[in-house]
Amino acid sequence: MEPLSWFEIITRVLLQFMPVWISLIALFTLSIVYKRRLGLYGKLFDSTIGMIGFALVMFWVFTGIFGALDMIITHDPLSQLSGMKNKLPGTPLPRPDEGQYPYYLFGGDNLARDVFSRMVKGAWIVVQIAPLATLFAFMVGITLGLPAGYYGGRLDTLLSFFANLILAFPVILLFYLLVTPEIVETGIPSYMATVLFVFPLIFVGVLLNSRYKTQPKVRTPLLFAVLGILGWLYLSLISEAGSKVSVLPGFLDLFDIPAGILVVFVSVVFVNSPTVFRIVRGLAMDIKTRDYVAAAQTRGEGPWYIMLWEILPNARGPLIVDFCLRIGYTTILLGTLGFFGLGLSPESPDWGTTINDGRRLLQIYLHPAIVPAVALLSMVLGLNLLADGLREESLRD
Amino acid sequence: MTDSYDGPILEIDQLSISFFTRLREIPAVMDFSVKVMPGEAVGLVGESGCGKSTVALGVMQDLGKNGRIVDGSIKFKGRNLNEMSQEELRQIRGSEIAMIYQEPMASLNPAMKIGKQLMEVPMIHRGSSEKEAYDRALQVVTDVKLPDPKRILDSYPHQLSGGQQQRIVIAMALMAEPSLLILDEPTTALDVTVEAAVVELVKELGKKYGTSMLFISHNLGLVLETCDRICVMYSGEAVERGSIKDVFDEMQHPYTQALFRSIPLPGADKNAAPLRAIPGNFPLPHERPPGCNFGPRCDYFEAGRCDAQDIPMQPVPGNDRHATRCLKFQEIDWNAPLAKSDITEKPEPGRVVLKMDDLKKYYEVAANALFGKRGDTKVVKANETLSFEARESETLAIVGESGCGKSTFAKVLMGLETATEGQILLDNRNIESTAIEDRDTQTVADVQMVFQNPFDTLNPSMTVGRQIIRALEVFGIGNSDGERRKRMLQLLDLVKLPRAFADRMPRQLSGGQKQRVGIARAFAGNARIVVADEPVSALDVSVQAAVTDLLMEIQREQKTTLLFISHDLSIVRYLADRVMVMYLGHVVELGSTDQVFSPPYHPYTEALLSAVPIADTRVKKKHIVLEGDIPSAMNPPSGCPFQTRCRWKSQVPGGLCEKEVPPVRQLGDGHQVKCHLSDAELASMEPVIQIAAE
Repeated sequence: MEPLSWFEIITRVLLQFMPVWISLIALFTLSIVYKRRLGLYGKLFDSTIGMIGFALVMFWVFTGIFGALDMIITHDPLSQLSGMKNKLPGTPLPRPDEGQYPYYLFGGDNLARDVFSRMVKGAWIVVQIAPLATLFAFMVGITLGLPAGYYGGRLDTLLSFFANLILAFPVILLFYLLVTPEIVETGIPSYMATVLFVFPLIFVGVLLNSRYKTQPKVRTPLLFAVLGILGWLYLSLISEAGSKVSVLPGFLDLFDIPAGILVVFVSVVFVNSPTVFRIVRGLAMDIKTRDYVAAAQTRGEGPWYIMLWEILPNARGPLIVDFCLRIGYTTILLGTLGFFGLGLSPESPDWGTTINDGRRLLQIYLHPAIVPAVALLSMVLGLNLLADGLREESLRD
Repeated sequence: MTDSYDGPILEIDQLSISFFTRLREIPAVMDFSVKVMPGEAVGLVGESGCGKSTVALGVMQDLGKNGRIVDGSIKFKGRNLNEMSQEELRQIRGSEIAMIYQEPMASLNPAMKIGKQLMEVPMIHRGSSEKEAYDRALQVVTDVKLPDPKRILDSYPHQLSGGQQQRIVIAMALMAEPSLLILDEPTTALDVTVEAAVVELVKELGKKYGTSMLFISHNLGLVLETCDRICVMYSGEAVERGSIKDVFDEMQHPYTQALFRSIPLPGADKNAAPLRAIPGNFPLPHERPPGCNFGPRCDYFEAGRCDAQDIPMQPVPGNDRHATRCLKFQEIDWNAPLAKSDITEKPEPGRVVLKMDDLKKYYEVAANALFGKRGDTKVVKANETLSFEARESETLAIVGESGCGKSTFAKVLMGLETATEGQILLDNRNIESTAIEDRDTQTVADVQMVFQNPFDTLNPSMTVGRQIIRALEVFGIGNSDGERRKRMLQLLDLVKLPRAFADRMPRQLSGGQKQRVGIARAFAGNARIVVADEPVSALDVSVQAAVTDLLMEIQREQKTTLLFISHDLSIVRYLADRVMVMYLGHVVELGSTDQVFSPPYHPYTEALLSAVPIADTRVKKKHIVLEGDIPSAMNPPSGCPFQTRCRWKSQVPGGLCEKEVPPVRQLGDGHQVKCHLSDAELASMEPVIQIAAE
């Protein structure tokens, strides 16, 4: 068979992404039709920049999801086909089996794996980890930043000092330390996970408690139910048979996170939360001088109610924007981790690892490295544009 | 130069200005005409949103990228500003037309010394040498009566007080001896006594330099004091124009009349002659009614006539350049007395609810937070020996300028701070050292507060109803969500808001409506003592009246004790039963409203009374201008706190005022004054405000 021309490659790739296009069109049509009823999200569709950003982000989100369902990929991202090593984009398979896709659309890498499928699979890893890790970092940052800003004084000095300490430490070095087998053996990453992942629990608990404190009849069952479920999830998350933290007996343990992923997760949360802490602290210091905060104080509200229900909702604008930007940083951070081979397994299809693999033969074969690089770039660009659009629209209100 | 020109300095003819948004064109000013003659001061009066600042920006040709002059002409000394190039405009701005803005700190470059900023003006516009410019700056700073001009020229803006900064802004405007000075609410950010001094200065300088002035203000009293002519604006249109005397005494437009009826004048009493708020709301710029803009709120409205066509300005026969935008002005009987609303009985003050005894609140301020040694702390005496009683259904007004300790007192009472010394007795229970978290629910619900800034008093991300329900939840009122919701709707009824507002967000409400929600929230737990911290000072005059009346109505019904903190003596006189005057943490005078507002006064009360602008041409006021600014509470003067600015100081022998804090003197009937003046001198004081016999 003849290799595909560039035009044919593009057509086939676009065709391959069909489920993503359909989802994107459906999402945009619905959103634009109902945009007046959707608050800030709806306003996003008034800004061209924001729409472009959102489209890029959602493209990768859908790609990740459909990729995980094995829909878009043309080959198994881990299987190697003989004769396809370092082949250029559009190269046909030498002996295609029945029902097998007859081409490597974006060529093969140095282990003869399909670059296109690996890119699609890599999106799923990012879509899975980046938002969740950012969310955890926000929980930690908010739970510590609010009291620091609201109370000020010694608590603030102490917390800010620790935040500065973490910020001053070289990130890459920290990652190297955290994934070193000797350090993993001591259990430090597991203990860190135990501490960091408890913050969402504290956050939700305090949030509900302060809101329903005046109605014990509603509060107590609600807290029991919510904290029970969250606690179970939390214990399942941190506990792992054989590791240092093994608190749940195996039959209660809902799921296991591969040790590598957990370390990546912990590192990302650990590095991001001090920055979030500082933003939240600054916002809290500003908002606590408002009259509605004084009004809440004069009717005897507790400090956590004021922080979580009077201050936090009014800080949401800058926080949402920062959340988008921070997912972008996290994506880059994940790329960096993969590039240095930290945490994730060597054959993992994530973008950082694939870029590193492709880097070695970069002078001869460009495509194995350039494809994931462009993917990473477009996703982060999309997040930044989305943040810009959100900021612009939220200021207009 | 065009010095020989003797026509009007500024002639605005049928000006229309619109702002263009993505959705529509919003007309901000329509068919607006005004003429400013040389040496004349014209006041532009109206409520917020009526377009008065837009007119000023239009004159400066500085409307931003959305604004555009769509019709009419602005002629400055006979030359049309609309047709000038940017280059020509630059030459006129700052040298021939100067503008003074509301916020003095925002008008000065914080990174540049005062002298440099002033010298820029002649150096840019006239190419003066540095030496000439410096001399000129020195002279102008002396002209605006700032002490030690050389030191001032060498300081940065943040080293000066608000009043001094505003004087510098005025000095800067005068540097180039402009022919026209536009003042956009120049004193709104200042305290009353400082305001009086600045206004005095502007008047004097206007005369001295022969400058014409366009004075923009929402305060009718100020315009009466400063201007020769007045133009009243409503919703983008001039509704009445004429000399001060004609407009104040023979008003010919229903809006002007309504405006005057909604501000408290001396002699007005809340029970005998209540204020009349203007019904309805200000129309949004894109929802103006057809015909007369004021129609839907007007008492004299005639359907089919007032809303049939656009209404032109018509001259009032017999008066000089007096015009009104009303079709019926010759039919309305302008002197008809106000329809008597039902006179309400003055409620008798009941038993003592709140008692303060020698309350003191000191703050310790470290000189340097990081490296300060122990003992390096300074003590700020925010409240000094505060003693008074407040009774059930009584209104006690607390009057004073910024820094006098009113807010600290409110904080201590609310429990946000604890007292340093002394007692606060609520129903004979001591609460001075119980912080709010240690108070029981009933005590917290009993003492509530209404805040000053309506745009800040409600949580912007919670619905109105939810915020009131939250207060009910905290105060333990109602057993179920349904009950609380019912009570919340009743509270909305109480403050006269439609029940549909329960599901609105605060940003959908106007300032007055937000303040009503704030009041509803304060009364959620059936509060018995309400501290109202300047509850109406940020509102427009017509709304002020309505909110004030509402507060008093609720007070009458619920027998609430109202502690009304304010700097506006007109409104205090109108609604308070007793008045407490504070200065730098001290209570300088305390007594019933009549006692405080008539001699003998404390010298500070006397100055405060004289500083209040009164919008009534019949009132004769004694002129007392206080020198200097309020001393800082960090560094109070020795002896009597007021001695640095007191005009009676020389009457006390032996420099006693500088040595000793005066004792509290009882003048009978609960009237007390903190002053060294002898009885004879106190008795010799004359009333500050007199209403001339008709």
